[in-house]
Amino acid sequence: MINLPDTSYDQCLKCNACVVSCPVSNATLDFGGPKHLGPELKRLMENQELIDDPRIELCTLCGNCDLSCPEDVHVSSLTAQAKAIHAEISGTKFRDKILSQAEIMGKVASTFAPITNTVMKMKPLRKAMQKIMGIHADRKFPEYQFKNFNRTYKKKTANTKRKVAYFVGCYATYNAPQVAEAFVEVMSYNGIEVAKPDQHCCGIPMLANGQIEQAMKNAKFNVKSLLEYTRKGYDIVLTCTSCTTALKKEYPEVLKIEGAKELAEHVFDADEYLRMLHEEGEMNTNLAPMSVKAGYYAPCHMKAQGIGNPAMDVLELIPGYEIQDLAAGCCGQCGTFGFKEEKFEISLKMGAPMKQAVEELDAEYTVTECGMCKTQLDQLTDKPVKHPMEIMAEAYRKAVVY
Amino acid sequence: MYDVVVIGQGLTGMLSAIWTKEEGASVAIISQGTGRILQSTGVMDILPGTEGTMNDLIRKYQIKGWNSLLVEGGIDRFKTLMVQLGNPYQGSIEQPVEIVTGSGFLKSTALYPTTVSPIPHKGHVVVVGFQEITDFQPSYVAENLASERPELTIDHFSISLEQRSHRTMTQLDAARLLEQKEVRNQVIQRLKDKMKESSIHKSDLVILPSVLGVIGWESVWKDFKNQLDTTITEAVGMPPNATAIRLHEQLHRETTRLGVRQYLNSKVVGSKQGKQTIESVMVRNANHTIEIKGTSFVLATGGILGGGMEKMASSITETTLGLEVDQEGNLINPYDNLYLVGASQGLRVTSHGITGGIFSILSSYETVIKNNYRQPLGGEQHDKLTRHQL
Repeated sequence: MINLPDTSYDQCLKCNACVVSCPVSNATLDFGGPKHLGPELKRLMENQELIDDPRIELCTLCGNCDLSCPEDVHVSSLTAQAKAIHAEISGTKFRDKILSQAEIMGKVASTFAPITNTVMKMKPLRKAMQKIMGIHADRKFPEYQFKNFNRTYKKKTANTKRKVAYFVGCYATYNAPQVAEAFVEVMSYNGIEVAKPDQHCCGIPMLANGQIEQAMKNAKFNVKSLLEYTRKGYDIVLTCTSCTTALKKEYPEVLKIEGAKELAEHVFDADEYLRMLHEEGEMNTNLAPMSVKAGYYAPCHMKAQGIGNPAMDVLELIPGYEIQDLAAGCCGQCGTFGFKEEKFEISLKMGAPMKQAVEELDAEYTVTECGMCKTQLDQLTDKPVKHPMEIMAEAYRKAVVY
Repeated sequence: MYDVVVIGQGLTGMLSAIWTKEEGASVAIISQGTGRILQSTGVMDILPGTEGTMNDLIRKYQIKGWNSLLVEGGIDRFKTLMVQLGNPYQGSIEQPVEIVTGSGFLKSTALYPTTVSPIPHKGHVVVVGFQEITDFQPSYVAENLASERPELTIDHFSISLEQRSHRTMTQLDAARLLEQKEVRNQVIQRLKDKMKESSIHKSDLVILPSVLGVIGWESVWKDFKNQLDTTITEAVGMPPNATAIRLHEQLHRETTRLGVRQYLNSKVVGSKQGKQTIESVMVRNANHTIEIKGTSFVLATGGILGGGMEKMASSITETTLGLEVDQEGNLINPYDNLYLVGASQGLRVTSHGITGGIFSILSSYETVIKNNYRQPLGGEQHDKLTRHQL
């Protein structure tokens, strides 16, 4: 039987704050909701047989339940366990196994990048894929890059005063190497060298698909590999908010990996890191003015870190740069969730308020840190989408010429 | 470094944050979960749980320094804000009205959303429930209402929402369903049919649970009102009430839209103090501790009900900053830059253990006025740039 880490739920008062704040519950009555499938289900199973509740498939692990709980119950740890139980008892669909393997998918798809990208845009093939695989034909897929970041960046050590070890994540490695390159560039403008330690997928897509054993395997590998760096004085910095949440929260709290707490103290989101440099008076603020009006879309996994809004904090350092929070809830893509045939409609419904907010603001482009939020923004809106590091790199680059 | 750091994101926390931000200050909110606003009814009573006038409130809570300017200013500002947010509040503090609750009993309230109407003394009323929503029972509501208003003629029945659900439905679920035009029209038609069947030709008021939509409340309310050709009211009761969720979502969205920085799911684990001031708070989230500095701090942690205070056998503790308080929860050594709002002011300002309502509005407003932030010349962007360069 599966081994589930112990998580406390005693404080739950059934106040419904999590249900009210759950983006999936608000979009469909098919979902049992975080209160029922979290603390209540756990209470029911305590010292009893495991209960397999298939409604848990609709949980996206966005973590809004954790943010809303006034009693500090880690609801999403409990729903992650319900997912693991469901996968253990009912098995995992072939499609979900594939989708949860973001790293393998990235390796294969980027190797055949031009073909993959073309194929993924061919309607008849996508229709067939929907039939065989259950991946919705109308879902736009993120493009894969042949020159992925693993092919272009091999640096394993840094020799500057501040040293950064970069956990790149699957998205920036295989789909958006330009984000990874921008990050390295931004760091170099601040006199910081960036090393890329050995790493595997953070495991969040596995956890979301109930593959808790595989997620643990990856987490253990990453903790071991990254601790070697932090113990030598490196800071771990990430450009993907979901990977960051994995390292800061899921490893120590959900998966309870040995050494994860020690590691978490050294983990930073890239914007958070820049803001910290600024607060310490170490940040290079020679940024070229930019006359831009942008919208900011906050990913759920950014909010989950409780770090305020570092992306807007650093972008507002650019003279003339105007950025407005779109104040929209969950995007509805939620990692692998929005790709799935049977969840596609719910995913679009969840994203509708975000679409409306983008249209109403009518900015030049949308800024977000998360690759999956970008996928949904690309699906639902016409505005280009940029990562904060791409913008910061541009502001530094222009300042040199200026 | 923020101008104002607000701790707590209930009604007082969000109002304080929105209003100080509007004054041009840089503002952060630190919160551990949503506030008690989610379990509230969203209507603004003068003395929650009992009846009374503004004078009774001032006397009971031993409030000093609330003159008519502050009271009128605060109420006006709240009403203006709610108009801006697309959820205008009716009523006044001079003339509280009686509204019906989810139990059928009446309560006195001062400000209420458009979807709520006062209960008349005479006329014909129909109480309508939904079969799927078990915590609103029309027969029970009708019976209790009859005891409060003997001259009313009251009918009651339930109709079905006819939607398949995989969980026990709440009033909020119904509210979101009724935002869909198709569902709404079918429900209104069923309601009409049922009235015909029960030989009710015309009524003066239809009472529904708190289900008239969330962000899209206006079309829901209008369609029910116009198609039934009658006054309608939501009976606020068991949470989650759509009236409260509406208010919460609008205030939360406005807080975000204004650029208030939100440190969510974050526990205050310590603070750095000067002689008479608080300089920063230490906040823990996601296995990280960060320091948040501020010029002033607003404690909006909701007292005992909100978790900001804990009652022990013979004393009270303040749980967030570890402040020294007396047996009534009053602060013993005040700080120059710490403002207490709502129930954070101790037991003397809570009636039946709760605050909320008019006191929360005015107490938040008073904090903003005392803080006295005005946007400096050159606008916020300029101000921010200068501050960063300093």
